[in-house]
Amino acid sequence: MAELPARSDRLSTMDRRSFLRTGVGGTLFLGTVGITANLSGCAGKPAGRYEAATGISSDYRFGFLTHDDILLFGALLPAIIGPGLPQQAADRQQAILGTIERIDAGILQFGPANQKELRRLFDLLNFGLTRVTVARVWPDWASVSPAQAGAFLDRWRSSRIGLLNNGYIALTKLSNVAFYGHPAQWHLSGYPGPPAWATQALPQFQNAS
Amino acid sequence: MSLTDRIAQGLAAGWKVTDATTLTTDQTHEADVVVIGTGAGGGTTAEILARAGLSVILVEEGRLYYQKDFRMDELTAYAALYQEGMSRVTRDGAIAILQGRCVGGSTTVNWTSSFRTPDATLNHWADRFGLDDLRPEAMTPWFAGREQRHNIAPWATDPNVNNDILRQGCEQLGYSWAVIPRNVKGCWNLGYCGVGCPTNAKQGALTTTIPGALDHEARLFHGLRAERLVMRQDRVDHLIASALAADGVTPSGVSVTLRARHFVVAASAIGSPGLLLRSDIPDPYQRLGKRTFLHPVNGTVAQMPQQTDPYYGAPQSIYSDHFNFSSGVAGPVGFKLEVPPLHPAMAAGIVPGYGEDQRDTLGKLPWLQSVIALLRDGFHEDSPGGTVSLRDDGSPVLDYPLTDYLWEGLRRAFRTMAEIQFAAGAERVRLIHLDSPWFRSWKEARGAIDALPMKPHRVRLFTAHQMGGCGMGADPRESVVNSFGEHHQVTNLSLHDASIFPTSIGANPQLSVYGLAARNSTRLAARLRS
Repeated sequence: MAELPARSDRLSTMDRRSFLRTGVGGTLFLGTVGITANLSGCAGKPAGRYEAATGISSDYRFGFLTHDDILLFGALLPAIIGPGLPQQAADRQQAILGTIERIDAGILQFGPANQKELRRLFDLLNFGLTRVTVARVWPDWASVSPAQAGAFLDRWRSSRIGLLNNGYIALTKLSNVAFYGHPAQWHLSGYPGPPAWATQALPQFQNAS
Repeated sequence: MSLTDRIAQGLAAGWKVTDATTLTTDQTHEADVVVIGTGAGGGTTAEILARAGLSVILVEEGRLYYQKDFRMDELTAYAALYQEGMSRVTRDGAIAILQGRCVGGSTTVNWTSSFRTPDATLNHWADRFGLDDLRPEAMTPWFAGREQRHNIAPWATDPNVNNDILRQGCEQLGYSWAVIPRNVKGCWNLGYCGVGCPTNAKQGALTTTIPGALDHEARLFHGLRAERLVMRQDRVDHLIASALAADGVTPSGVSVTLRARHFVVAASAIGSPGLLLRSDIPDPYQRLGKRTFLHPVNGTVAQMPQQTDPYYGAPQSIYSDHFNFSSGVAGPVGFKLEVPPLHPAMAAGIVPGYGEDQRDTLGKLPWLQSVIALLRDGFHEDSPGGTVSLRDDGSPVLDYPLTDYLWEGLRRAFRTMAEIQFAAGAERVRLIHLDSPWFRSWKEARGAIDALPMKPHRVRLFTAHQMGGCGMGADPRESVVNSFGEHHQVTNLSLHDASIFPTSIGANPQLSVYGLAARNSTRLAARLRS
């Protein structure tokens, strides 16, 4: 097995490539200005306010997911919820970032025990040796195509190792719930939302006078 | 139609309610009784004791959410109203645990199904655990009383299509079915019980016994987590509790000490053993945290030719007990059949796919129908239940191993559910299982189900009912409390929640908790007033 490139080499390669990459069947979530933060040692911290290289940003402050975690989901989401994403590149980016934000917001309510479990899972997936040996993902996540991400998910789903099945369920459940559960995606399931006759009649839906 | 909001009115009228997340200094309070947990057991207990003239302090780690917060929205509700933001699972991750964490407990988020404890269960408890004073004749008046208190009656409105499919399939196959009794008053038939009833129709603890207790001078602290009961000699002297910060999860650093003559723990089958374990409550026969039961649930999803809109209408209105007690208590495991509501986040979370497959399945949501089987665990020796233990940080975790006995039952349940859905006209059916394709016919399904691996994670499992861990029994060598929920070794400690069940119930458990808590609180009130 080839030696892993030194960390800073790998990051600058990713930086260059990500500017050019568009990915199969839509855009990959591109590498970010967060790379600088990684180099300065903020890799393990929640990402705080996050800005993608595409300029897509929001006021959301990440409280759990790190920059690496965001790249991980940026690579996985096109495989997990890709078919439901809008066609237009900017809309796709927005939907992906919004979903990752909601994943973060959900995890903040999980409490310390399950947050610890997820941190272990994400670290295993993010960091070189286990990413390669356990997830069998060779390039870093920012370079992974949707097809490669899907292959990784299939491996964990069909594995005989319960721990990996568990990881598959955790990743897909987090993503599916945050995506399909959000009002902007209700049209994908044909769910009309709470009935209008009810929201019109109930006090909690009326604006304060 | 009920639009009067008792909580808003009560707060305005001066109820003694403290949001512990706003506390800034350590403090001590005292009452006749401290009740830990505001769910089915805690609410019932607090109201009865308060009406008897005793001073009561209620402690709830969740927050007080009520009508103004119930906006029929899954994502905000799952994060705020459920334990661990709806991420709670058994230790190996194989079973997803749906459990409430808010004032009213799981009764704030349940689907309103209300059943008396089956006669067979009560008789088994008497025969096996020496609980002769809990036989059906003795419990009947308690159930009747709670049915009145919570307005429980068979649902009189037509079942929604989702539920009617279960009825139709059972009719076709000659399986018995019946209408589910629900604890609702003036229900709008909306279907959002699981995210907090937006109309106050649901008669859970939040809209009945908690207001009743507060009307009678009880004091409620919410956002306050019970850490440890501290003993002095052979009695509980006080409770140490941690106030939580605004996020409702992290301790703020403020400590609240609560003193009382008597302590009633009603923190659920996971929370109650957790608290007693953290407190080193005497446990000479190591029964604490043992024999936890879940009614493990597996399910199937069908695509019907007609539109089902499984997100609208009373979520549960039809059930079948055809396979529940047919083999008695000693035979293969029985199961109850019901129907779950399918809103988009829940559906996306239970169907274990991704990508195109997931998008295609969820895209059919308006035509989907689901049946679930709730296994009646704990009656047979090959169903010994799970164990609650403490993590390093003191939080409780449930370890629930699936035995061959239960796997056999789950496979049988899969067969039955698919058979029922095809009999009702399903176009195709898939199991909620990692390896299940869509089946186009009952013949195709039957053959394949026999070959599917019955293993953790591959079979997607759920539980909405957590029971046991502080089981009742006449013999202290195999139980934690007696039939009155009184702790065998500690005289001023009682348990009034589902943790006292020595087996699972074989029916949705809220009325069982209400009934036992009413009986046991009535006795406790008499004891404390004499």
